[in-house]
Amino acid sequence: MGQNEAVHAGTEDGGGDAEEFDPIGTLTLIGIYFVILVLAWVYIYFVEFLGRDLVIVG
Amino acid sequence: MHIHAYEKLWLALSIVLILALIGTVTYGAVGPGVAMVADSQSTIDAGGIDEDERFSEPRVEQVGENEYEAYVVAYQFGFEPTPIVVPANSTVTLQVTSRDVIHGFEVAGTSANTMVVPGEVSEITVETDEPTEYGIVCNEYCGAGHHVMEGKLHVVSQSEFENRGGDSE
Amino acid sequence: MSTALESERTFVDKFPDEARVVRAAFLSSFFALFLGAVFGIIQTLHRTDVARIIPSTDYYTVLTAHGVFMVISFTIFFLVGLFTWALTRSLDRPLLNIKITWTWYGLMATGMTLTGISILAGFVDSIDMSADVLYTFYAPLQAHPLFYAGLAVFIVGTWIAGADWFRTFLAWRRDHPDERIPLQTFMVLTTMTMWYIASSAVAASVLLFLLPWSLGFIEQVNPTLTRTLFWFFGHPVVYFWLMPAYMLWYTVLPKIAGGRLFSDPLARVVFVLFVLLSTPVGIHHQYLDPGIAEGFKFISMTNTMFLLLPSLLTAFTVVASVEYGARKNGGSGLLGWLTNLPWRKPEFTGMMLAGLMFAAGGFSGMVNAGMNINYLIHNTLWVPGHFHLTVGTAVALTMMAGIYWLWPQISNKPIYSSQIGLFQVVLWFIGMALMSNAMHAQGLLGVPRRTAEPEYSGFDYPTMFGGFEELNIQIAIGGTLLFVSTILFLGNLALTMGNPKVSGLAEPLPSPVSGAEDAPKVLDNLRLWVSIALVLVVLAYALPIAAIIQRGGLLGPGVGTYPVWLAPLLDALADAAAPLVGAVTDASGSLAEVVR
Repeated sequence: MGQNEAVHAGTEDGGGDAEEFDPIGTLTLIGIYFVILVLAWVYIYFVEFLGRDLVIVG
Repeated sequence: MHIHAYEKLWLALSIVLILALIGTVTYGAVGPGVAMVADSQSTIDAGGIDEDERFSEPRVEQVGENEYEAYVVAYQFGFEPTPIVVPANSTVTLQVTSRDVIHGFEVAGTSANTMVVPGEVSEITVETDEPTEYGIVCNEYCGAGHHVMEGKLHVVSQSEFENRGGDSE
Repeated sequence: MSTALESERTFVDKFPDEARVVRAAFLSSFFALFLGAVFGIIQTLHRTDVARIIPSTDYYTVLTAHGVFMVISFTIFFLVGLFTWALTRSLDRPLLNIKITWTWYGLMATGMTLTGISILAGFVDSIDMSADVLYTFYAPLQAHPLFYAGLAVFIVGTWIAGADWFRTFLAWRRDHPDERIPLQTFMVLTTMTMWYIASSAVAASVLLFLLPWSLGFIEQVNPTLTRTLFWFFGHPVVYFWLMPAYMLWYTVLPKIAGGRLFSDPLARVVFVLFVLLSTPVGIHHQYLDPGIAEGFKFISMTNTMFLLLPSLLTAFTVVASVEYGARKNGGSGLLGWLTNLPWRKPEFTGMMLAGLMFAAGGFSGMVNAGMNINYLIHNTLWVPGHFHLTVGTAVALTMMAGIYWLWPQISNKPIYSSQIGLFQVVLWFIGMALMSNAMHAQGLLGVPRRTAEPEYSGFDYPTMFGGFEELNIQIAIGGTLLFVSTILFLGNLALTMGNPKVSGLAEPLPSPVSGAEDAPKVLDNLRLWVSIALVLVVLAYALPIAAIIQRGGLLGPGVGTYPVWLAPLLDALADAAAPLVGAVTDASGSLAEVVR
């Protein structure tokens, strides 16, 4: 980023560039997303797709 | 490079997900044996399909015990033959080609779906179940009359198929 | 603090010439958005049989216009505006020569005007010109030469734009030999690298085959070859649409949320992955093509699945950056911090809703990427359902939301109404939720995409999820809400442009939590990434293209020419469509009754 902004952010945060932060909320949200993705995939592949008539076998 | 532990965990989960997706598709290919339409047939002169033994007279033909081949021509704006009549509980190989532009061949509501490209023959094999009737739609834009391009696939009992003389007309 | 902000200068204060180009590019983009939205609403209501004001044969003119104006003009004009802003801002220096900048803008505008004329002429029967070939222009359907020529001029314009940015970067590099490439500049350069690789194929297709063929210099083309060259370009182009949204999510959204970017190094990794992986995947659009071996399709799938990685990483980094802001503003709890976010700001809510829809689009994209499951949804309405979540919301809504933050920076004019803005972005979300969900569901019923009349005489669709008719109503309502949302956006922007200029609008961007100094230097080695990307492209495409040419020949296996723009063909079509006319007359009759 431009130098002027680096300076600006420094004053804003008191130079706290090294501060630690644990994004536990993000991990939770994305974990929920992961579970939804897996369940939806299993449903669409094994129920919707393989359960249909006229599966192409050759 | 510093990566937060949670993000490393997410990276690992993401890679597991990707491998699982590839794994599922691979399972579909080797378990239930889903095959892709591919380059099994050689090219064909799109302007001369009337001289081709298969497509000069689009039809359904018995090629083995309980095995049938259907030769289908897609054109602006229809399919031949229509309906395509095949017997129940049999193995049917569809060979579809185009006389003019790119079309689609989709048996609506089923997994039978392929592009139809002039100069190429799309070959797909399906196993029919009980007698029923399906609609076929062209699912690739092929010109101003695209929306009227439809066909039918009739799966009929073995006896009815024989009564019709084994042909679809 | 506040005095510091007031003394801060906005982008337009610092770079008035560049700001003018940025505004011109954005306005071109939004003019295309307006046209695209008009054709979008006509199309939605026609397809769902709610109101048919055009004959069904003209539907494909509408569809071509909607596609080209939305995904070529709207997205790419926005991109060049945003990238001009981002590069100039992050390098903190003007472009080398503003005349060159106006030259590429002029070429892009001219090219798109020519292509637009060739498309819109399709509505006028007395002009022998049409380009009803849709956005994918698959041969042997043939458009008027002006369509291809305009596209070529447009693409050359984007190439010069990229060169303009690279030259400015190199000038900066001479003055700052040891500094890291600023993040936004890094995003511009990597995205343009991808674009040069990808667009070379469509340029080759147009210049070597389609344009000479439409001018009559060559008799025929190989449809599989031109189709493959299109998809060589056609998948990376979706990342070309997406990267401006990613840039806004990574560099602007954290600021709006009151926080900072979580990780600069990971942002760089993500953009490098896009350079490497976005091109050697195009064959996944051709899973159901005859004439391409299954092995090539499988390789393409593997690459495509790994292309999920940068987007999944982005989801984490962007949400974590927002969470950082929320916690700094007093947010607490596992999810309680979500209430400590500026949900009243349209720029924030718009981008967050866009991201949420992108997550949903991620799922339908996984299905599209799966090789054999493609039989389920290929060319059904599922596919446009998918890309209205991605380009139609993740990209379009982020761009609109971004404007609520960016326009004041490039004009010194405050937004006319944030309330209208907030209403507009939420309306877009609701409209798209309705429309896209119903499109996915209809796709599973087997309803095809790209058709004027998805109801057929010979059969009915199976009833699931409430059935074809109810889903049509959802699509029509959703499409109408999207149209209203677009008009509110454009109206709000027009009124903003009428506002007087004020000072004190500057909003500088904060530096990341984990900064560039933490990123391995190799990430900035663009030469290395370009080389690897080219190797991957060759590995993915050399054999398939050789096989296609070997099978069908460079100019095709005896395939004819089907111009959509010559009168004799139109007559033939009129005959074929004769039974339709009755249906259309009936439809317009009943419409007239409804109106009465």
